[in-house]
Amino acid sequence: MKNWWKFLGIGLLLLASIAALRIPLAPALVHVSPDRIAPGTTDITITGYNTAFTSGALVKLVNEEQQVCATSVSVLDASHLTARFEVPAGMKANLTDVSVDDLIYTGALFTEGLGAGITSAVCPETYPAPASFTFPNRSILYESIRNLHFHVPMWFTMIVLMGISVFQSIKVLGNNSLDNDLAAEMAARIGLVFCVLGLITGALWARATWGAFWTNDVKLNGAAVTGLIYVAYLVLRGSVQDAHKRARLAAIYNIFAFMLLVLFLFVVPRLNAIDSLHPGNGGNSGFNDLDMDNSLRSIFYPAVLGWILVGCWMYDLRVRAARLANNLDR
Amino acid sequence: MRTLLSFFLLLSTIVANAQNAAPSWLESTLYGSGKINVVVGVVAIIILGIGIWLWRMDRRISNLERKS
Amino acid sequence: MKVSALCSAVWFSLRGVCSTNGEGGPPTFVPVKPGEIAALLRLEVALDLRQRAAWAGMLLYVVSAVYVCYLAVKGGLGLATWNALFWIILLFAAFNALTRSFQREDAGRQLYLYTLVDPRSVILARAIYNAASMVVLSLLSLLVYSLLLGTEVLENADLLQFVLAVVLGGIGFAAVLTLISAIAARAGNGIGLMAILGFPLVLPLLLTVMRASKLALDGVAWSITSTYFGGLVLLDVITITLAWILFPYLWRD
Repeated sequence: MKNWWKFLGIGLLLLASIAALRIPLAPALVHVSPDRIAPGTTDITITGYNTAFTSGALVKLVNEEQQVCATSVSVLDASHLTARFEVPAGMKANLTDVSVDDLIYTGALFTEGLGAGITSAVCPETYPAPASFTFPNRSILYESIRNLHFHVPMWFTMIVLMGISVFQSIKVLGNNSLDNDLAAEMAARIGLVFCVLGLITGALWARATWGAFWTNDVKLNGAAVTGLIYVAYLVLRGSVQDAHKRARLAAIYNIFAFMLLVLFLFVVPRLNAIDSLHPGNGGNSGFNDLDMDNSLRSIFYPAVLGWILVGCWMYDLRVRAARLANNLDR
Repeated sequence: MRTLLSFFLLLSTIVANAQNAAPSWLESTLYGSGKINVVVGVVAIIILGIGIWLWRMDRRISNLERKS
Repeated sequence: MKVSALCSAVWFSLRGVCSTNGEGGPPTFVPVKPGEIAALLRLEVALDLRQRAAWAGMLLYVVSAVYVCYLAVKGGLGLATWNALFWIILLFAAFNALTRSFQREDAGRQLYLYTLVDPRSVILARAIYNAASMVVLSLLSLLVYSLLLGTEVLENADLLQFVLAVVLGGIGFAAVLTLISAIAARAGNGIGLMAILGFPLVLPLLLTVMRASKLALDGVAWSITSTYFGGLVLLDVITITLAWILFPYLWRD
């Protein structure tokens, strides 16, 4: 059973992709209307996402830990309700949070008629909803958080394939084998396929999240430089005729470039720590606990492993086809 | 050459006007329904990319078959 | 098994660095040969003195590039633009200057050198010489640049930091482009290939050095900028070490 890893790759990819598309987002409050309150009787319509509002919903305003309970709540459907408040004058902060049961929309309402603070009402206690397996619901990302399991594995696969390419290049320097050189070239080519896929999917996701297809971000620069380096690698290969000379020149460039690339991806971002839009604190390639919770993680790692195995399979096919072509030419 | 130039001029005016116009078809598609269409787009791009790779691999192997 | 293969591959690549001394004793570090390097440096200087036109060409290149910038913007540059423009001019000057490094000698002389000296001495001597000439070139560019495009951005600057950034940047450009120039010369397709191969590799250095010099121009304290200078030194050292390890494989055919 020497092909077990191919089955493993496809299996992981299948399970992770189904999970990535099917697991619901956590419920959240996404919109309130109107978005400002003044002292007096006010009706506020609250829109939720993936929520299950029931007629017993407990709605309150929270301003600097001082609460205002809703006097009446009318639930329109599972994700819309209207609550009436007697808004007192003299609240402290100019942003008021809205809370429905255990969901909180922070800073939802601009507040007028500020003052030294109000006497907090004691609203009925709300109990946290039973925990369920959901993806976190982040503003501006919403459902597109699922892309984590499709877009990011492209980069992991690319780096692994480039690593294989460099490994084969190191072997070329040791033994001058043309077969290792072939493997190095094919790994770089498959890596470039994943680079292109990562760039295009990233551009689409960036357009929907940050409003532009390309932003000046350390990760995007890293991706662009990786692409340029390996295109240059292929150009170098194309411009040398003699096979042994080509193998050695390409191997030297590959090792040199990969080491500098590693520096660029993992050291330089730490210097320019402030200006990354990506999660993981300024180009830190890892994800810390704040950025990725366990539900995302438990799907993300199988997806990454699945894509890496599929990438290796593509590389395997490409090398075998190229070897066959070489044997036929001979 | 001139058509190319006027095409780019047209393109740049479109891009320049896009900022203050009503949301374009792209924005309304991407931002609607909790941004799920972004995921649809990303998955479609990946499947298309792998498909193009498979197609080229297919051609490559056809060539090998013809040679042997 | 995979791990042992990896180890052996790393060993292959490092075999040049460490070598056993005769009777199977512990591996010893091949010493850098200062005498050989000094001789090669003297050779470089002598060759360059014979080709003064090349230096004149480089200086003319810098002066005319700066002058074109001056005509295009007519002073009044913001700090960020001043900085960016300076480094862009320096980047292209570096490409221009270092392309010659391995192009100028024919196969015959290379073979002759090969029989005489250790390849590592060649790359180290070239890197040192190129670094020195880049430092000179960068400082001259800085002079011409600030004469023509105005020194008002330098008023708040920590001048020592800025010069340090220029020096470290020049050394880094030289370190990266020396090996690339050797590869391009070996591939037999000089200038075009040099730009294609070199550009993505100098980007990490360029971004770091631009950030460092921007901070220096803003007059930021050493405690903050020292990370950047540390990073630059690290980049320079790693690049030279890599060139030192890899060059022998390029050298012998």
